[in-house]
Amino acid sequence: MTATPTVPPVHHHEEDTSRGTAISTWLKGQYALYILLALLIVATITRGSIFWGRTNLTNLLLQMSIIGVVVLAQLIVVLTGGIDISVGSALGLAAVVAAGLFGGPSVLLGLVVALGIGGLIGAVNGWLVAFRGLEPFIVTLGMLALARGLVYAYGNGIPINPEAADSYASFGQSTLLGIPVLALIWLAMAGLIAFLLYRTVWGRRVYAIGSNVEAARSSGIPVKATLWSVYILAGLLVGLGGWLFLARFASGTSTAGNLLELEAIAAVVIGGARLSGGYGKVFGAVVGTIIFAVIANLLSLLNVSTFLQDAFRGALILVAVTLATVQIVRKRKTNPTQPATA
Amino acid sequence: MAFTAVGVKKHYPGVKALDGVDLEGYAGSVLGICGANGAGKSTFAKLLAGVETLTDGEITISGFPHPVRNAAEAERAGVLMMHQEPLIIDDFTVGENVWLYKLREGRDIRPWARKVDTNSAETREVLQGVGLGHLSTRQLARGLGPGQRQMLSLSRAAVTKHKIMILDETTASTSEEHFNDILRLVEREKNEGTSIIFVSHRLNEVFAMCDRIAVLRNGTLVKVLDAAETDPDEVTALMIGQALKALARPDPVHAAPDQVPALSVRDLHGGSANGVSFDVNPGEIVGLYGLVGSGRSSVARTITGQRPAAGGSIKLHGREVSLPNPTAAVAMGIAYLTEDRRLEGFVKDFDNGENMSLVALPTMAKAGVVDAKREKTRIRELISEYQVKGGTKTYTRNLSGGNQQKVVVAKWLETDPEFVVLDEPTKGIDVGARSNIYQIIHGVAARGKGILVVSSEAEELLSLCHRILVMRNGEIVAEFDPEHATTDDLVRTALTHEG
Repeated sequence: MTATPTVPPVHHHEEDTSRGTAISTWLKGQYALYILLALLIVATITRGSIFWGRTNLTNLLLQMSIIGVVVLAQLIVVLTGGIDISVGSALGLAAVVAAGLFGGPSVLLGLVVALGIGGLIGAVNGWLVAFRGLEPFIVTLGMLALARGLVYAYGNGIPINPEAADSYASFGQSTLLGIPVLALIWLAMAGLIAFLLYRTVWGRRVYAIGSNVEAARSSGIPVKATLWSVYILAGLLVGLGGWLFLARFASGTSTAGNLLELEAIAAVVIGGARLSGGYGKVFGAVVGTIIFAVIANLLSLLNVSTFLQDAFRGALILVAVTLATVQIVRKRKTNPTQPATA
Repeated sequence: MAFTAVGVKKHYPGVKALDGVDLEGYAGSVLGICGANGAGKSTFAKLLAGVETLTDGEITISGFPHPVRNAAEAERAGVLMMHQEPLIIDDFTVGENVWLYKLREGRDIRPWARKVDTNSAETREVLQGVGLGHLSTRQLARGLGPGQRQMLSLSRAAVTKHKIMILDETTASTSEEHFNDILRLVEREKNEGTSIIFVSHRLNEVFAMCDRIAVLRNGTLVKVLDAAETDPDEVTALMIGQALKALARPDPVHAAPDQVPALSVRDLHGGSANGVSFDVNPGEIVGLYGLVGSGRSSVARTITGQRPAAGGSIKLHGREVSLPNPTAAVAMGIAYLTEDRRLEGFVKDFDNGENMSLVALPTMAKAGVVDAKREKTRIRELISEYQVKGGTKTYTRNLSGGNQQKVVVAKWLETDPEFVVLDEPTKGIDVGARSNIYQIIHGVAARGKGILVVSSEAEELLSLCHRILVMRNGEIVAEFDPEHATTDDLVRTALTHEG
C-alpha cells in the first residue's frame, strides 16, 4: 500500500518524452562530463597552446589507453558488486613476463603471454570469489601482494627489455589516421565491453547479479559461472593493459602498474558507477579515465610538483564523489522513489 | 481524542497519494484503515509517524504543543510506528532487539547511563507477552523466521512510552497463529488507553481487531464505519467502489486413469520437509496449506531447485529430474514465484521491461546477443496483457505490491513453464490485483500446466484450487476437496498435534 508515484495507466509513456527532454535529463546526470569540461577550459586558459598541441594530445592518448583498459576491467567487476584491487600488480606481472619469457622475441607472442597471465590471475580471483564465496576485496588484496611480489622476483627489480624492444617501440608509436594505435585499441575495447554489457544476455545478467544477487539466483541465472566469467574477462583486459604498457615503454619495469588500482577504482566511481554494484556505464568509465589523464597532464604542464599532484588527484576524487551525492539528493527531492510498501 | 488530522494532503509529482483527509483517533480504541493498493493508507500512517512530511493540512497529537512535522517530533509526541518490514538488527540478540529503542537519543544514551539488562526477567516477560516465550534472550535475531521477527518488533510496544501505536500491514508476514498474539497485545494496549491504528487489507483481521474502520479510496476518505454495524462486503464495496465479482471456482479436471502426472514427488526430504509424496496432474491447481514451519515452503523451494533436496525423487511428466540449483529447474521448465518478492522477486535497478524478460531473455537472443526490437515488442505486449501500471521503463521497485507481483508473474510465465509453483502469490496484495492474479493462474491451468499454490490463507486456497493438501511437522497429513471443506477444517488439521 503505498504512495508510489503510480502513473495513471498510460502505457508506453516513455515514448511521450520527446527526444529533447531525454537529452536534457541525460545531460543533467553527466556531472563527470562537466568536470572534464571545466578541466579542459582551465587547460585552454592556462596552457592552451601546449595542451592542444599535437605532441601533448598524442601523449595524453597513449597515457589514457593503458589505464583505460584497466578501468574497463574494473568497471565490469564493480558492476557485479565486487572490486578488484589486484589490477595494477596483475598488469605489472603481465608486462614483465611478456617482456622476459623466451626473451621476448615477438610482439605477438608478448600479447599471447600477457593475455595468458592476465586471464590466469582473473580466473584465480574469480574462482575464489564465485565458487568459494570469498570477499572480492580480500581475494584481490592477496593477489595484489602475490603478483607484485612475483614481478619483483621475476626481474630482481631490474627493468626487463624484450628482444623485440624495437618492434614494441615502433608499434607503440604507430598511428592510424593520426590517432595512436594504442588509443584505438582502448576505444575498441570500450566498444566491445559496451556491446557485451548492453546488448547481450551476459551483460543483462551482470547487472542483475550486481543489483540483486538473490533475485538473479532465484530466477535461474547461473550466478557463479557469470561471476567467474566477469573476473576472467577483467583479467584478460588487464593482461592487454600490460601488453600496451610494454608497447608504450618497450620495457617491463617492476613498478609497472603500481597503484593503478586506485586510479581505476576512482575513475569508475567518478564515471558514475555504484560501488555496491548494479549500476554504471561504459561511457562514464571512459570519461572518468579521460579526467584522470587530463588532470595528471595538466598538473605536469603547470609544473606542479609530483607530490602535490597526488594531493590534487585525491581532492578531485572527493569533489567528484560529493557532486555525485548532491545529484542523487536533488533527484530524490523532485522524484521521490518511495519504497513500495505493498 | 488522541490525534486529529485535518485536510491532510500528500502529493508526489504526478500522483496525489492523499488529497484532503480528515480523520480522528480516540484513546483506547482501534481504528482500522482499509483501502486498495494505492489508496493512500500507508501514506497516512507514515504522515502520522512523521516519516513523510505533509504537503498540506495539519496533524495534531493531543498533549503535544504544535502539529508534528517530522519523525523526531512524532516520537516525542508519543507515536510508535510498527513497520511492515520489522526493524530488527540481525547481529543483536533477541533481548537487545527488544530494547533497541533505548539506543535513541535522550537520557538513555548518556555515556554514564546504566545499561538495560537485556536478559532480565522483565525482558522474558515482554517476550512471553507476544508469544515468543520459548526464545532465549541471548540468541541472535538472525535465525528468526519472518513471523517471529515481526512479533519481536511488536514486543517493543511494552517497553516504550507511547500514546499512539500504528500497525502498518504488520500482519502481512505473520501467519494466523501469530495473529492471536497480536490481538492480545492490542487488547492490552487498549486497556492502557493507547490509540491504535491498524492499516491492512485483510478484512477478517480488521474486523477481529478494530472498533472503527476508515475506508480510503484514491487518496480520499470514503467513509468511517463503526465495525459493529458493518460487514466485510460493505467495506470491500467501499474500497473498490463496486461490488466484487466472486471468483468462480475452476472447472474440475478429469484425469484419465493412465495419465502421467505433471509432477510426481515421492518421499521428499529437505529443510523441514520430511518424507513428502504427492502428484499434480496437468491442468490441476493443487493447494499446499500449513502453518509457518510446517515444511510447506521447504517443499516449494526443493521442487524448484531453490534448495537442494536431501532425499526422495521428483518426476516431471514421468521423467526423473535432479534439481541442484534454480538454473537446472528453469531449464526443466519449472517456475517458482517467490514468497519474498522484494528480496528474490525482481531486480531493484531494473525497469519493468528488464525484469519481465529476466528469465526468458535467452529465448529473445541469438548467440547471446539480445534482439532488442523483439524484446521491446514483447515486453510492451506483456505490460498491457498483465495490466501493469506505468510503462516498460518504470522501475519495478516504484510500483505498488500488486503491480510488482504482476511483473514477477509475467517474468515466470513468459518462459512458458511446464510446472508452476506459487509461494504466497497474493501476499500483501489488495482485492483488485488479487482477482487479477487468480485469473492468470486459472489461465495457466487451462493450458494444461500443473500448478502448486502454497499459502497460509485457507480461504484463498479454498476458492482457487482443485485439491488442497495440508502439511504438519514436515508431512502431508490430509487432503481436502475444496467443494466440501471449510476454512475451519484446514486450520484445525494444520494445528492438531498428534497423540
